[in-house]
Amino acid sequence: MPSELQVAPSFRRAVVALSGHPNGQRLVRLVAELAKSHKAELIGVHIVEIDWSMPLDMDVAGRSEEIQQILDMAEGTAETAGVKLESVLLQARDVGAALVDETVEREADLLVVGLAYRTKFGGDFAMGRTIPYVLKNAPCAVWVVREPIQEETS
Amino acid sequence: MQGRKPADRRVRVERPHSPYFRYTGPGQLVAKAAAHTPKTAVGRTWARIRKVAIGRPLASEEEAGERLSKKKALAIFSSDAISSSAYATQEIIRVLAVAGATALAFSVGVSVAIAVLLAVVATSYRQVCRAYPGGGGAYAVAKENLSPFLGLVAAAALLIDYVMTVAVSTASAIAQIVSVVPDLNGVKIEIAIIVIVLMTIANLRGLRESGNIFAIPTYAFLGLALLMVGLGLVNIVTGAAHPISTPNADPLAGGELSIFLLLKAFAGGSVALTGVEAIANGVPAFKPPEAKNAANTMTAMAILLGVLFIGITVIAHAYQILPTVGDIPTTVSLVAGTTFGSGSLLFVLFQAATTLILFLAANTSFNAFPRLGAILAVDGYMPRQFSYRGDRLAYSWGIIVLSTVAAFLIWLFRGNVTALIPLYSVGVFVCFTLSQIGMVKHWRSDHGPGWQWRLAINAFGAVLTAVVLVVVVSVKFVDGAYLVVILIPSLVAMMLFIHRQYDASRRELQVRNDLVFRPPHREERAVVPIPGVNRAVIQAVNVARSVADDVRAVFITEDPEDGAAIRERWERQVPGVPLVVVESPYRALTGPLEAYLDVLDSAWPPDKPAPITFVVLPEYVARSWWERILYNQSVKRLRSSLLGRPHTVVVNVPYRREDPTMFERAHPGSGDEPSDGHPAGAEGPA
Repeated sequence: MPSELQVAPSFRRAVVALSGHPNGQRLVRLVAELAKSHKAELIGVHIVEIDWSMPLDMDVAGRSEEIQQILDMAEGTAETAGVKLESVLLQARDVGAALVDETVEREADLLVVGLAYRTKFGGDFAMGRTIPYVLKNAPCAVWVVREPIQEETS
Repeated sequence: MQGRKPADRRVRVERPHSPYFRYTGPGQLVAKAAAHTPKTAVGRTWARIRKVAIGRPLASEEEAGERLSKKKALAIFSSDAISSSAYATQEIIRVLAVAGATALAFSVGVSVAIAVLLAVVATSYRQVCRAYPGGGGAYAVAKENLSPFLGLVAAAALLIDYVMTVAVSTASAIAQIVSVVPDLNGVKIEIAIIVIVLMTIANLRGLRESGNIFAIPTYAFLGLALLMVGLGLVNIVTGAAHPISTPNADPLAGGELSIFLLLKAFAGGSVALTGVEAIANGVPAFKPPEAKNAANTMTAMAILLGVLFIGITVIAHAYQILPTVGDIPTTVSLVAGTTFGSGSLLFVLFQAATTLILFLAANTSFNAFPRLGAILAVDGYMPRQFSYRGDRLAYSWGIIVLSTVAAFLIWLFRGNVTALIPLYSVGVFVCFTLSQIGMVKHWRSDHGPGWQWRLAINAFGAVLTAVVLVVVVSVKFVDGAYLVVILIPSLVAMMLFIHRQYDASRRELQVRNDLVFRPPHREERAVVPIPGVNRAVIQAVNVARSVADDVRAVFITEDPEDGAAIRERWERQVPGVPLVVVESPYRALTGPLEAYLDVLDSAWPPDKPAPITFVVLPEYVARSWWERILYNQSVKRLRSSLLGRPHTVVVNVPYRREDPTMFERAHPGSGDEPSDGHPAGAEGPA
C-alpha cells in the first residue's frame, strides 16, 4: 500500500491562479492531470489589478484579447487533459485578496499559484506580494508550484 | 463583490465570447461546439436526430492517427483482395460451363494464369510502395508521371471500382448468407440495401478500420479457407474427392469451347485482382520502415490470395461443382460444404467468416472513395462539398454518394454477383495499366538504385495489364463492360467541366498580390421599395440612411389614389426621405422597380464612376414554416430579380417581433397603430 507521501493529496475543487506567465500552461496541465484522477472541479482565475486612480468597474479586462487568451488557453489545456476548467475574470485592487476571496466564495479546498524564477540579477524567486498574502490568508490548502530553473546558455 | 475585508472588492468581468469561442492569439478565435449549435427549433431537432444516428460532433484534433503493424495492415488492406477469392472461381466456372462439363477442366489452368497475372501485378505494386511512401494511388501516380488528364481517367476508373466493390462484395456476402439460409433468397436485395445503409451510418459516425475488431474476420476467413483448401487437397491426393451433385445447378449448355470462351473465363476470374492496389495506396499508415513493410505485406497478400484462389478452383474442379441458378448456393459455399460437411460447425463458421470479410471488403471503399473524392475536390475536379468533413470527421458527401450508387446498382441488377462483375474488372485494369505506365515514366526520370530492373518490372506489368484490359473490355463488352466504357469518359468530362468552372471563377475573383486597397471613392445611394408605412419600412429606411446620404423610397401601386394617400402620410411621418410613387397599370412589381433603377443609372453623370445602389428591402421575419408561406413573397421576387444587377447591393432588413416595446423605445412618440391595414410589417414591399 503506498504511503501517504507517495500519493497526491486529494481535492474536490481547486482554484488555479492564472497570472499570464508562460509557465501557466504547465501549471494548468499539472493540476488538470491531478483533478482528473480525483474527479475534481477546476476554476481558473485571472485577476486584473486596477489602480486606485481608476474606478474598479472600468472596462479594462473585457476588451483585452491578451487577457481573454490567458483564460482561454487554460481552458483548452485542461480540456486536452480531459478536465473542464471554469474560467473567471476579475478586476480588483489587490490580486492576493481577490484570489483568497474568490477561493472562499467558491468553497474551494485548494488554491494553486505558480512561482516564477527570475534569471536576471543572479536569479531569484519572484515571490511578490501575492504569494505571501495567499499563504497567510487562504483558509484552504495552497500549492505553490515553482517552474523549472532554466540552465543559462551563455 | 465584497471581499472579506472592507476594501477588498472585486468585479467579475463578463466574457461573452467564452461559451462560443476561444482566443488562440490576437484577433484569432477558435469556435467551440456551442458555436455550431443550431438556433432554430427545426435545426436543433435535426441536430438531435443526427447525434442519435451518427454520434456527437468531433473536433478535428480528436482524429486518431495510428500506425499499423504488418499483421494488422494485412487484415485491413487485404480484405478486399482476399475476399474476391470467394467469388472469382464461380465466375470462371460460370463462363466455362457454357461449353459443357469437359470445358470445366480448363478452370484450373485459367486460375493459374490469373495467379501469374496476380504475381506480376503484385511485384509491380511493390515498386509503387517503394517509390511512393506517401501513398501511391493510381490517380496520384498517373497525374504526376503521365498527365492530369490521365490522372482523371485513373480517378474515374477508381471511383467506379470503389462503387463496384461495395455492390459486388455486399451482393456476394448476402449470397453466402442465402447459401446457408435459402429462405432468405426472396429478400436478398432488401437485406443488401439494409446492410449498405448500416455501413453508411457506421462510416458517417466516423468508423475507423484500425480497430482490432476489423482484423478478426480477415484472419478467421484466412484460417478457415486455408484449412478448407488443405483438407480438400488431402481428399484429392488420397482419392477421397468424388464428384457431387450440385444443388440448384444451372443446366449445362452444349456450346463450343473456344479461345474467346477461355479469354472470357480469364476475364471473369480476373476479379480476383480487385483490391490488390489498396496496400500501395495506404503506405503511410504502416509502421516504419513504411515502404518496406508495405511491400512485404503486398507479397504476403498476393501469396495468400493466389493459394486460396487456385486451391478453391482445384477443389471445385475435383468435386465437379457446377454453376447454380442465381449463384445460390455459391461455389465457395459448395466447396466448403463438401470439404467440411454441409451443415457442420466448420461450414457455418466458414460461411460466417466469408460473409464478414465480404462486408469488410465493402467497407474499405467507404474509406477509399470519400478520400479520393476529397483529393479530387481539393484539386478542383469534384464539387467542394466532397472535401468537407462532417460532424464525425468523415467525408459525408462521398459516403452518401457511394452508398446511394452502390445500393442503386444492387437493386438494378437484382443483387446478382455475376451480373455485376462485368462492370467491375474494367476500372481495375484501367488503374493497373495507368499506374504501371506512370511508374515506367517515374523510373526513367528517377535513376535510383536498381532503376533499370524496376523499370523492366513495371513495363512488363503495364504491357500485361493493358493486354488484359483489352481482353476484359472486348469479351465482356456486351455483358455490361460497355457501361464502364461510357462511364469513364463521362466522369472525366464531368470532372474537367467542374475544374473549368472553378478555374474560371477563381480567375474572376483573384486579386493581384501587389495591390493595396484603399476605401472606395464611389458614391452610394439607397432605394427602399415600400408597401406602405409600417414598422418594418421605418426600420429599413433608417438602415438605408445609415449607409447612404441619398435615400429615396419607392412605392409601386396600381391605384393612383393609394399613391396620393401614402405620399401625404410619408411626407408627414418620414420627412427628409423623398418618396417616388410609381404607378403600375399592368400590376407588375419587379419590372417597374428595375426600370426605375435603370432610369436612375442613366441619369447619373457619365463622367463620374457609377454609384453603388443599395436596394434595401424591409422584411418581416417569419416565426414558423406557415408564416414563411404567408409573408415576404414580394421580397423574394424582388431579391431574385435584382441579384446579379451591376453596381447593386440587395440588403434585407428583417423586422423581428420578439420585443414589441423596442420600436417605441427607438422612436419615442411614435404610435403603436399598424399602418395601411396590414399588421405591422406583415407584408414586404407591395
